[in-house]
Amino acid sequence: MSKRWKIFFVLLVLATVTVWLSVFSTSSGGLKVISCNIGQGDASLIIYKNFEILIDGGPNNKVLDCLSTYMPFWDREIEVVMITHPQADHYTGIISVLDNYKVDKILANALNSSNQSYQLLKNKTLLMGIDVINPVRGTSIRSNLIQLDILYPTESFLAENYRQLTAGNDSGEVSSASSGSLGAFESKLDPNEFSIISLLRFGSFKFLFTGDASVKILDDLATTMSESGDNSINYIKIPHHGSKSALSERFYGAIKIGVASISVGKNSYGHPRPEILDLLKKHNIQVFRTDELGDIVFETDGNSIWTDN
Amino acid sequence: MKIRFGRNGLLVTILFLAFFLRIFFYFSNLPKYVNGTKLRITTRVLSEAIIYSTSQYLKLMGYKLYLPLYPRIYYGDKVIIEGIVEDQIIKSAKLISIDEKRGILYQYRQKIISFFERSLPKSHAALVAGITIGSKSGIGEELWNKLKNSGTAHVVVASGMNVSLVASFLISILILFLPRRKASIFALIGIWIYAVVSGFDAPIVRATIMGSTSLLAVETGRIYKSLRVLVITGLFLLFVKPEWIGDLGFWLTTFATGSIIVFYRRVKKLFKFVPKIINEDWSTTVSAQIGVVPLLYYFFGQFNLLSPVINVAVLWTVVPITIIGMVGGIVGTIFEPLGRIILYLCYPLTSWFLAVVNFVG
Repeated sequence: MSKRWKIFFVLLVLATVTVWLSVFSTSSGGLKVISCNIGQGDASLIIYKNFEILIDGGPNNKVLDCLSTYMPFWDREIEVVMITHPQADHYTGIISVLDNYKVDKILANALNSSNQSYQLLKNKTLLMGIDVINPVRGTSIRSNLIQLDILYPTESFLAENYRQLTAGNDSGEVSSASSGSLGAFESKLDPNEFSIISLLRFGSFKFLFTGDASVKILDDLATTMSESGDNSINYIKIPHHGSKSALSERFYGAIKIGVASISVGKNSYGHPRPEILDLLKKHNIQVFRTDELGDIVFETDGNSIWTDN
Repeated sequence: MKIRFGRNGLLVTILFLAFFLRIFFYFSNLPKYVNGTKLRITTRVLSEAIIYSTSQYLKLMGYKLYLPLYPRIYYGDKVIIEGIVEDQIIKSAKLISIDEKRGILYQYRQKIISFFERSLPKSHAALVAGITIGSKSGIGEELWNKLKNSGTAHVVVASGMNVSLVASFLISILILFLPRRKASIFALIGIWIYAVVSGFDAPIVRATIMGSTSLLAVETGRIYKSLRVLVITGLFLLFVKPEWIGDLGFWLTTFATGSIIVFYRRVKKLFKFVPKIINEDWSTTVSAQIGVVPLLYYFFGQFNLLSPVINVAVLWTVVPITIIGMVGGIVGTIFEPLGRIILYLCYPLTSWFLAVVNFVG
C-alpha cells in the first residue's frame, strides 16, 4: 500500500469512528436534569435531545466539565442560559460558557451587580449580541415536549423594587424591564430576593428551580402553585444551598415533593443547615447532595423517573 | 560528555568561568524580601497563566501567585500586582492594573486555543491544545493530576517532541516542492515561529536550538554530536536565563533528552523481543525514564512504575493528534466550520488517550 493510501485509510477509519462516537454520545429520548457538582454555588443543566437549558453557572469554571460530560461532543450550542440572580456563585461560570459555547438566549434579571466579573459578563453578552430576556411570572419558554414556566419574580415586585441605575442608561420606564437587558437597575434589596424561580414541565413531570429564594418568596410561591394546580412536583432544587434563609414550613407543607437536590460545596455557613435537612426528612423527601454524590443526574422518559446516584 | 582539554582548553575554561560568574551574580543580585513584606510588582508577563477552576496561576519575577479568574491575564501583558511575600509565593495578590500588549504570534496562539475550546469538550480541547502547542492553561487540576500520576504529563507540556514533530512534518511537506537545502531553511524558520507560538517555554527553546543545530550540521556537513550539543545548549540557556535553574521543565527536558541519547540504542537492543510496532515508543520512553525518574522522585516524591506501559498505550495517538490539531487549528482560524470538521477527526484519539489516563490516573 502506498503512503498516500495509508494516510487516506487512517483518515477514513478516524472519520468512521468519529461518526459512531457521535451517534453513541447523542442522548436517548428522555429528559435529563443534572445538578452539576461545581462546589459552593448553583448550576443545573437540563438536556432534552439536543436542546439545553443551563440554569446558573456556579462560582468557577467547573460547569464546563459538567457540560462536556453530558452534552454530545458535537453539540456546541446551548439554547437557553438562565442566571437566577447576579451573585458570583451563580453567574461566574457563565462567562466561560459564553467563551466556549454558542448561547442563543440569556434569561436574567435586569438587576445589576457592581462586581467586575458581572460587568465583564454584561459586556460579553452585549458584544456577542446575545438575545436577553428579563422574565417575569407568566413568561414561558417552549421547545418540543418541554416547557419552562417562570413563577417569580412578579412584574409588580420588580416595579416596586427596581431603581434605574444613575449612570447613563437610556431605557425609560421601569415597566420596560421585561424587554431585555442585563444590569440596568439596582435595588436596596438583597439580590436573592430577585431569584428567578422556574418550573420545568415534561409530560406530567415537574421540576422546580429556585435560585436563592427566601422564606417569604417560598411562602407566597406555595399559594401560587397550589392555586394553579401545581401542588405536586417531582423534583426541587433546594433554594440557597440549604440555607436557613429558605426555611419555609408553609411551602414544604403545601407542596408535595418527590426528590430534592442540594447544590452545595465546602462552605463556612454550615450549608446545608440541619434545620432544612430535618424539614425535608419530616416530609419524606429524598435528598441528593452534590458535595456527597458529585453530579446528580435525574432522567425521565415521561413515564418514570430514575437516577444513577 | 567529552570536552577535551586540548586546543580549545583555554576557550572552554574561559566560557565556564563566564558561566559561573553569570549565575553567581544573577543570584547574588536578586532582591531578597523578608516574609511579610508588602510588594508591588510591575512587569511584563512572560509565562502563560494557568487557569484553575477558581483562580489563575502566574509566575512573575520568580514569585508564584494566584489571581481571580477574571480579568484573564495573557503572555505579554504589562501588569502591576500587589501582595505580601511569603517565601516563593505572593499571598493575597491583587491586580492593580493591566495593560494588554500581546504580540501577533501570541494572539494567534490564543486564537487557536480558543478555537479548540469552542470546538471540543473541555478535557479534549485541553489535550489537543497541550499536545499541539504546549498550552497547559486549560488543563485544570484534575486532568493535570491524572496526567502526572500516569507519567504522561510530558505529552501536554511544551516538550521537545513537539519541536521534532514540527520539524519533520515541515520537512516532509516542503521537500515535495523545494530542494532539500531550501526545505531545511524553511523548516528552520518554521520551528522558530512554532517556538514563539508555543510561548517560548524552556523545553521548546531547548529543542528548537538543538533542532536548529542538527539541521545546520546536516547542511554544513559537520558531525553532530548530540550529547555535546545538549550540554552546550543547556549551559547556554542557563547563561541567558539563570532563573531556569529552578524550572522543572528545563531539567526534565535536559535529562530526558540526555538519557534518550545515551540509553536509547542499548534499551532497544535489550527489548529486541518487543514487537516492532511499539518498540520505538517503548524504548524511547524507557530510556527517557532512566533520567527522568530520579528527577520526578526528587520534585514530587513519586513516580509511576507503569509509566512506560501507559506511554506505549497512548503515545501512538500523539503524532496524529498533533498533525490533525495543527491543520485543524490553522484552518479553523480561517474558516471555523471546516476547521472543526478536521478537528473532529482527532476526537476518537483524544477519547482513547483520556480513557487510558482516567483508567490509570
